[in-house]
Amino acid sequence: MGEELGATRESLAYNPGRETVHADQKAGEPEVFLEPLLWGLFSLGGFITAFLFPITVFLLFVAPSFGLWPSDPAAYATFAAHYREPLVRVFFFALIGGSLFHGTHRLKFMLVDAGLRGPGIEAALDIILNAIAIVGTLGALYYAVRGWLFA
Amino acid sequence: MAREYPWRRRAGWWLQNRRYLAFQLRELGGVVSAIYGLIFLNLLRTLRAGESAYTAFVDMMRTPPILYVNLVLFALLVWHAVTWFMLIGKSQPIQFTERPLPWRAVFGVNVLLWIGVSGAVVYLIFGGF
Repeated sequence: MGEELGATRESLAYNPGRETVHADQKAGEPEVFLEPLLWGLFSLGGFITAFLFPITVFLLFVAPSFGLWPSDPAAYATFAAHYREPLVRVFFFALIGGSLFHGTHRLKFMLVDAGLRGPGIEAALDIILNAIAIVGTLGALYYAVRGWLFA
Repeated sequence: MAREYPWRRRAGWWLQNRRYLAFQLRELGGVVSAIYGLIFLNLLRTLRAGESAYTAFVDMMRTPPILYVNLVLFALLVWHAVTWFMLIGKSQPIQFTERPLPWRAVFGVNVLLWIGVSGAVVYLIFGGF
């Protein structure tokens, strides 16, 4: 027996957990743009942070201090030589930008959890913390392209 | 018009049990990543400033007590990463089959990916051993 379909070609069979969600904007409601963008950057930053941060911090600040690595990846000559490569510059740009958008978003909700609640306070937190993330990311972009695209 | 239910959570709620504490430590790990983001930004700034500024900054990061602070922050970062991988299979169940994949399977795949990505970072970004 074939599957019963509705006028919009959606299955009419009982389908727990898979109900169709209509994402169409309701008439009269303002379009939400910034919040999903910030949550998207938060999520992207979470992946970048989880996958790339532990090994980077370990190599630069932890392992050489305890003799856990045969060389010192943070030594000036070594690091400066590696940082000339475009891939390394893109890596640090992604690392810094991703971590800032992820961490500041988390910090906002930690502070809200701690009692800094209210539309005015939350708007101020949004402005301050997102400004830190945006300025920091632009700073990372500057160091990524300086000496590569311009002197 | 329906009234909004007042949201209340008493101070120190996250000390009530180990799960809440683990959650809050994970949140803190996310904030720590932003702190390291700023530290890396300063690392690049000192790199541009020259060898003496760069070396002074790296030495400062490796000198007690900052070295021990680094160890604690590093542990929080690892905890954040591990719990992030645990979360993926729960918050976004991956469904190739009739039932979503068990979160433990998704976690295992992500840990393997993590090891692979870390190895790639060692070789591609830091030039290997």
